[in-house]
Amino acid sequence: MSAPLVPSLFGSCYILTGAIIWIVDKILYAIGYVIPPLNGPLAALGGWLASPAVLTFLTWFVMVLVMVIWAVLLNLLTMMWVERKVYSRLQDRYGIMISIWSLPLWPFNRRKDKATHRGWGFLQNVADGMKLLQKENIVPAAADSMMFSVAPAWIAGTTLMVFAALPWSSGLSVANLDLGVLFILAAFSLAPLGILIAGWSSNNTSTLVGGMRSAAMLMAYEIPLILAVIALVFTTGSLDPQTLVLQQEQTLVALGPVSIPRWNLFGPQVIGFIVFMVAIVAEMERIPFDLPEADAELVEGWTTELTGMRFGLVFGFKWLRMIAGAALLSILYLGGWSGPVFYTFYLGSVPIPIIPAEAWFMLRIYLLGIFFVLLSWAVPRVRIDQILNIGWKRLIPLALLAILVAAAARVFGYVG
Amino acid sequence: MGLDWEAIAFVVLSVLEVTFSILLVTSKRLVRAAFWLAATLITVGGIYLLFRAEFVFLIQILVYAGAVPLLFAFGIMLTRRKIMEEPGMEGEK
Repeated sequence: MSAPLVPSLFGSCYILTGAIIWIVDKILYAIGYVIPPLNGPLAALGGWLASPAVLTFLTWFVMVLVMVIWAVLLNLLTMMWVERKVYSRLQDRYGIMISIWSLPLWPFNRRKDKATHRGWGFLQNVADGMKLLQKENIVPAAADSMMFSVAPAWIAGTTLMVFAALPWSSGLSVANLDLGVLFILAAFSLAPLGILIAGWSSNNTSTLVGGMRSAAMLMAYEIPLILAVIALVFTTGSLDPQTLVLQQEQTLVALGPVSIPRWNLFGPQVIGFIVFMVAIVAEMERIPFDLPEADAELVEGWTTELTGMRFGLVFGFKWLRMIAGAALLSILYLGGWSGPVFYTFYLGSVPIPIIPAEAWFMLRIYLLGIFFVLLSWAVPRVRIDQILNIGWKRLIPLALLAILVAAAARVFGYVG
Repeated sequence: MGLDWEAIAFVVLSVLEVTFSILLVTSKRLVRAAFWLAATLITVGGIYLLFRAEFVFLIQILVYAGAVPLLFAFGIMLTRRKIMEEPGMEGEK
């Protein structure tokens, strides 16, 4: 059995919000002390902030903020760093090296005789982001400026929507929906329209071709993705991530001390797993399927005309989609966050598992991420007609076969 | 709190939906119209959510907001020789 480090994100954020409001209350009190006429209204404001309804409302804000910081600021940067380091190793070079030792501040620049670029390179992506923030946002003269501005926001917003329903463990999630997997897939499927609009509104041949390719490709791969999930529902009977993971925690076979868990991968769902994996790589637009921004043919595909932080958003959020795809894959087929705890120690009365469920989940996400990175830097790009052939003529029949197999397994009594 | 949040949400969603539908049928640029179509269908999905029909809402987003405008935009672009309209054809202003 696995145990989460954060038993309830809402509970933790409620305490955090309470602490913030307590500090704000003290500051208001201090202001009221210095300027006596403001004392009455400020005390009323403090009381209003501390009322239960406002506190709950603010807690939801803090929860969303915590999840965005967790997903974007920590995991997105780490995933980008992992990709850039892994493919550099694959190409037999060091890769990015800007780290905390490159900062021109006192504790870091003491050794003048040593090179500044000598760290692990984690701050390289932060530096790139800072650079993009300083760039001018250029809208091409012939572009449809409203659509051009809407498209990056549309793509970023719909990608962040995924994380509203994506649980990181049984406790670390913003909302637990009964139809969570469907919600994630729905949020995933909104971005292609943004890509098409971005490609069209730039009024440039490369971007338009990139947008069209993206639309054709994502439409072809959306269908096997959904069909594979339908095959999964035949045996699990649920679209709730929590239920799916609980089902996969049970033991399939016990080989002495080692017990193999009942992951959906082991069983009739293996065809669905293959289909889902290929389709999700296509949804992430990674290299075997990165036709929409094939940099050898179309300058930078549909992102060619985007500049500054607009480019930074759509470029960086590819890794967020990669994290979401890997998380979905591991929830559906690879046991989610299940894993042994080994030992739980207590800090006061708070139980702290030594290997929490979140760590098991992130282990899966990053191993899948490294697999995707190795895949995309080791194989060549496929042609557009070949991609559509794979999607329509191979994956959809395979997905239908997976549905048949799953239905037959259900008829013969295989459950979960 | 005497406010009926569901009624407020319904009014906001309805106003947005009517606005987007009017923009959809009056827009001269067909790809913009496809975007307004997506916005209209998402607000319709929001009204389904107010009826506590979460499944219909998600299918609405998945099929009608995700795929249908994409198909429309794809079809529109395949039928046109020019990437964008002539400047004189702009309806607004």
